[in-house]
Amino acid sequence: MKEFAYFPGCSLEKMASSYHMSAMETTQKLGVKLNELDDWNCCGATTYFYIDELLAYTLCARNLAIAEKTGLDVVAPCSACYKNMFFTAAHLKKDEDLAEHVNFALEEDNLHFSGNVKVKHLIEVFAQDIGPDELKSKVTKPLEGIRIAPYYGCQIIRPQKEKEDVEQPQFFEELISAIGATPINYPLKMRCCGGSLIISSRTAALTMVRNLLQSAVDNQAAVIATACPMCQVNLEVYQQQVNLEFGTNFSVPVMYFTQLIGMALGIPNKKLGIGKEFVAMAPTPLAVETAWGLPRKTK
Amino acid sequence: MTDTITFGQEISNLLHAAEGEPLKTCIQCGTCSGTCPVAGYMDNSPRQIIALINLGKKEQVLESNTFWYCASCYHCTVRCPQEINITELMYALKRYSIWKNRYKEGLIGPTFSEAFVKMIVRGGRSFEPVLATSYIFSFNTREFVQEIQGATELLLKGRLPLLPARIKRLENFRRMIGRIIPMGGLE
Amino acid sequence: MDKKDEKEKIGVYVCHCGTNIAGVINVEEVSTWAAENLKDQGVVISREYKFMCSSLGQELIQKDIKELGLTRVVVAACSPHLHEKTFRNACKGAGLNPYLCELVSIREQDSWVHTDKVAATEKAKAIISGGVSRVVYHEALEPLHVPIHPATLVVGGGIAGIQAALEIADAGFPVYLVEREPSIGGHMAQFDKTFPTLDCSACILTPKMVDAGNHPNITLLTYSEVEKVDGYVGSFVATIRKRARSLREADCTGCGICWEKCPKKVVDDVFEAGMGNRKAIYVPFPQAVPKYPVIDRVNCTYYIKGTCKACEKFCPTNCIDFAQQDEILTVEVGNVILATGWDLFDTRRITQYGYGRLPNVFTSLEFERMSNSAGPTGGNVVLRDGKTEPKVVGIVHCVGSRDKNYNEYCSSICCMQSLKFAHLVKEKTGAEVYNFYIDIRTPAKGYEEFYHRLLEEGTHFIRGKVAEISDATRLPSEEGKLVIQVEDTLTGNQLRVPVDMAILSAGLEPRHDSKALAKLFGISCSADGWLIERHPKLDPIATMTDGIYIAGCVQGPKDIPASVAQGAAAAARVMGKIQQKEIALEPVRATIHEEQCSGCRICNNLCPFNAILFHEDRMVSEVNPALCQGCGTCVAGCPAGAITGTGFSNEQILSQINGLLLLNVPKKQAVAA
Ligand SMILES: Cc1cc2nc3c(=O)[nH]c(=O)nc-3n(C[C@H](O)[C@H](O)[C@H](O)COP(=O)(O)OP(=O)(O)OC[C@H]3O[C@@H](n4cnc5c(N)ncnc54)[C@H](O)[C@@H]3O)c2cc1C
Ligand code: SF4
Ligand code: SF4
Ligand code: SF4
Ligand code: SF4
Ligand code: SF4
Ligand code: SF4
Ligand code: SF4
Repeated sequence: MKEFAYFPGCSLEKMASSYHMSAMETTQKLGVKLNELDDWNCCGATTYFYIDELLAYTLCARNLAIAEKTGLDVVAPCSACYKNMFFTAAHLKKDEDLAEHVNFALEEDNLHFSGNVKVKHLIEVFAQDIGPDELKSKVTKPLEGIRIAPYYGCQIIRPQKEKEDVEQPQFFEELISAIGATPINYPLKMRCCGGSLIISSRTAALTMVRNLLQSAVDNQAAVIATACPMCQVNLEVYQQQVNLEFGTNFSVPVMYFTQLIGMALGIPNKKLGIGKEFVAMAPTPLAVETAWGLPRKTK
Repeated sequence: MTDTITFGQEISNLLHAAEGEPLKTCIQCGTCSGTCPVAGYMDNSPRQIIALINLGKKEQVLESNTFWYCASCYHCTVRCPQEINITELMYALKRYSIWKNRYKEGLIGPTFSEAFVKMIVRGGRSFEPVLATSYIFSFNTREFVQEIQGATELLLKGRLPLLPARIKRLENFRRMIGRIIPMGGLE
Repeated sequence: MDKKDEKEKIGVYVCHCGTNIAGVINVEEVSTWAAENLKDQGVVISREYKFMCSSLGQELIQKDIKELGLTRVVVAACSPHLHEKTFRNACKGAGLNPYLCELVSIREQDSWVHTDKVAATEKAKAIISGGVSRVVYHEALEPLHVPIHPATLVVGGGIAGIQAALEIADAGFPVYLVEREPSIGGHMAQFDKTFPTLDCSACILTPKMVDAGNHPNITLLTYSEVEKVDGYVGSFVATIRKRARSLREADCTGCGICWEKCPKKVVDDVFEAGMGNRKAIYVPFPQAVPKYPVIDRVNCTYYIKGTCKACEKFCPTNCIDFAQQDEILTVEVGNVILATGWDLFDTRRITQYGYGRLPNVFTSLEFERMSNSAGPTGGNVVLRDGKTEPKVVGIVHCVGSRDKNYNEYCSSICCMQSLKFAHLVKEKTGAEVYNFYIDIRTPAKGYEEFYHRLLEEGTHFIRGKVAEISDATRLPSEEGKLVIQVEDTLTGNQLRVPVDMAILSAGLEPRHDSKALAKLFGISCSADGWLIERHPKLDPIATMTDGIYIAGCVQGPKDIPASVAQGAAAAARVMGKIQQKEIALEPVRATIHEEQCSGCRICNNLCPFNAILFHEDRMVSEVNPALCQGCGTCVAGCPAGAITGTGFSNEQILSQINGLLLLNVPKKQAVAA
């Protein structure tokens, strides 16, 4: 059994509890154990970096140090948490000076980070550690005929870590194919949804959400799959406001990839947190063909 | 002349791991601004901000909304042919602007950021309703109604927490922060 | 060795190199220091001078040799690459064996790389001390003389290689022109028009190809590759594989019946850049030289299934030979010119530009073929469907160039090539043309004028590097089009420009196998893969290996005129060498002391020049001094310590190290360093 330290992040506590539930259920079913970090703190989203870089690194480092004690690689389901932790670990490993500063602060909580933790995004666990082939072999209720738009968003992929393809990656598509659904190709799958702007620069953010939904819908997506609570909230919760603002008529379900995988693995909807959406998802995969077979074309 | 530090150097110093002055190597190609999903809302495109910094036009830069509109999507950064981390630059400008307490009138970003950080410094974890109050008044009525509607619906679906989560070893946590920023500054 | 007893008289000369050295190093102090502190080493005179390499500087040395009877000379100046020869010759002129002169570098290895003046001055002292300690162990050497074979090997039959071959052949010397493809001509044969005069590429190239094909002094070896090179300047031996064309050239008339009858169509990825087809038996293009076809055995039905033979059946002269074998030729040549050209940057690597994903995104080479009236579309500029004329065309500059994510350098020809395309598109279709550029680079004769002509023609120029090309349409006006997203940097507006066709002006890259080529010929290439010239300004066509020259794009991106000029220049250098008839080789060689050699044969395989032979009878190894390049590999590799390198003996190296550490200098002076 593969085992990881698990950093849920703030939004998974409540806002994205369905992501948390479905992550736990699916990983368990696929033989992966996620151990929630003891007494973790918020990673700061992007906002710390607005105020004080050193503080931001310290807060991330605290979680990393807690994870390091477990001797396991750490997994974050939220893209922003993932990006923050990944690069904090990378910077601290490279920059001794910074590490010294940060560790000085960590002493107050009897912690120390020496740079030996690998940070992964939850979707990497599915794409790499489990792998599409293994996943496929465990599928009991393939989501046949469902057109799913994989939404990568920003911070899973960017900034670039090594020389991987940051413009047209395919791992999300492969996971969708593995559960029997049809991944759709739409040009905005890598574009920003404006998540971090929804509060500060509303019109800009809503426009970005609109463009994204339009692109997915134009390409006959029946559902958008996300791997980040911020993206999910933006694309789903703000659909109504987009409709109000632009006179559109969007009604596209936006689900966590773990929920979709969970359905294909035959996990009951309730355990996957399905039913908490604003835009309801069809209750069973069997009803899907008729319900989702048609494109939801908006004007 | 050589003793006084230029605006460009000041900003570069705010960038972690900025070796030398990376902004100086910008060839003004516009890839960043061509890529940026928010460019249409910015007073100056990201490329122009870099040109202004290199020219030492501090006032014009601080008057700009550009960095507050940056969505941190890193799309410009992965495409820049000079490997300049434009997104980090935007963070640095936000920090500079908060630090100097100078920003363009009517922006929500700075207030929100400060409120957010204060909250985490207090409690260790983030909590949405507290935040709302600090920015909600800058919305116009229609936006306000929409916002309330969104929040209420989240609440009804059981997705908004009612009490802020706190971490267990809060005392240690606060002392830890004290070693980074003198307490009181943000409290 | 009793060197220490017979006291040497050493002269030390410290160069200012203008301010290159003197700007950082206190030259006077260094010179005085050497005179005082290296006395015990045998230094009898130490001088400094503004430019040691000037004739006055050289005369200074010569005068001292004659008047003071110097037996050794140390010059502290630039790198031996630059002026070792100069100072050795100066010594020779005054009657001192040139190998008793040592040039130590206080410029490249000191003043150019340090800013701390005091430390740099101390370092210069140490470097000179090392040189002085070393020069004591130098031996008087005599150069080896070897004859120069009059034949030349030219590798690569593009415009640069053809030009070089013709020049040498016209002068009356034999040339072997080796080309990998079935025909010579290189990339130029693919083009439609050539900038800036817009003359037809084939019209100006074909006569040269025909000349090269018919020249009595040129042996054309097409569909061939060099597999092995031995030897050294004056007498290289090259092993060439002439791949089987599967037909007897002597009988073939080039009538073309075979490829007409051949039923097997193959996508032509090379000449047609994937835009068109050829047959399994083919000539790449009608004007090919030589005129004979080749059978592509990977795709020919007969080689796959054992049946067909249509070509054989219809060939009027009955020259098809399915059983033909590759031929291995060995040729002896005195000099080599490498002119293997460039590969196009793979535009698929920039995924956001959509090549390979969005059908109407084209590469520059695809456009050249499309625009060529002999090409797959008969010269019509049309979309991928093969019929629709575009109404709006976007030409994207700098694709894969000037970008640290791909290639940092500017490919130098693509601005002009993009302007050429803009003109051709307008001329052929009347479409609106947008050129997206960062800077317009038109720095040669007639080029800026060509740009102005394009401005007058009404081509739109948008200054901004394209961010992405997508089919993410939003507005009705964008429906069915490609959207080019870019910032117009002159106004600061982000634009979405809908176009029907996008052409990517991809950069030039070194050949994918350029590193292997460099290794084969024992020369070096940059990290990018361009072959390195002897001097970037003063000797752009020679390499560090004597007798091997480079011409055309193999050295770096350049246009046709520059490639032709380099081809001709390389030829001139080779002819000069041939005229000398004989060449003096550096006597810096390795020797094996037979009595110490254990016969382990480790060195035999280490030598990169295959210069070591093994005597089975005596069980010892020996160095062939004509082949040995004095690289020193074997010296370091021999476990028995049986090999010494002239010029790099253990005594020389160890004493130089001692000198560098100032171990030979009285303690109190040494501490400063
Ligand atoms: C789209 C485009 C348009 C252009 N248009 C113009 C123009 O209008 N005007 C202009 O001045 N310049 C133009 N150029 C530049 C021009 O292509 C080069 O200057 C020119 O091709 C250089 O010639 P070359 O002989 O060095 O290389 P190449 O043309 O590449 O020829 C090299 C030859 O060596 C052969 N070869 C390679 N490896 C081996 C090997 N290992 N063994 C044997 N043979 C080998 C190849 O098959 C080829 O025949 C253009 C370039 C591009 C990309
Ligand atoms: S992409 Fe990079 S080089 Fe180009 S304008 Fe932006 S910061 Fe400058
Ligand atoms: S990171 Fe900021 S500046 Fe860069 S493209 Fe995204 S929103 Fe624009
Ligand atoms: S048919 Fe025979 S003679 Fe004619 S081109 Fe082909 S091989 Fe040569
Ligand atoms: S044998 Fe091969 S080359 Fe000859 S006609 Fe048949 S397929 Fe073509
Ligand atoms: S020649 Fe022009 S198009 Fe080509 S890389 Fe240089 S600037 Fe870019
Ligand atoms: S390595 Fe030394 S001992 Fe061995 S064969 Fe060569 S010379 Fe002789
Ligand atoms: S020094 Fe030795 S290894 Fe080098 S070329 Fe001469 S014999 Fe070969």
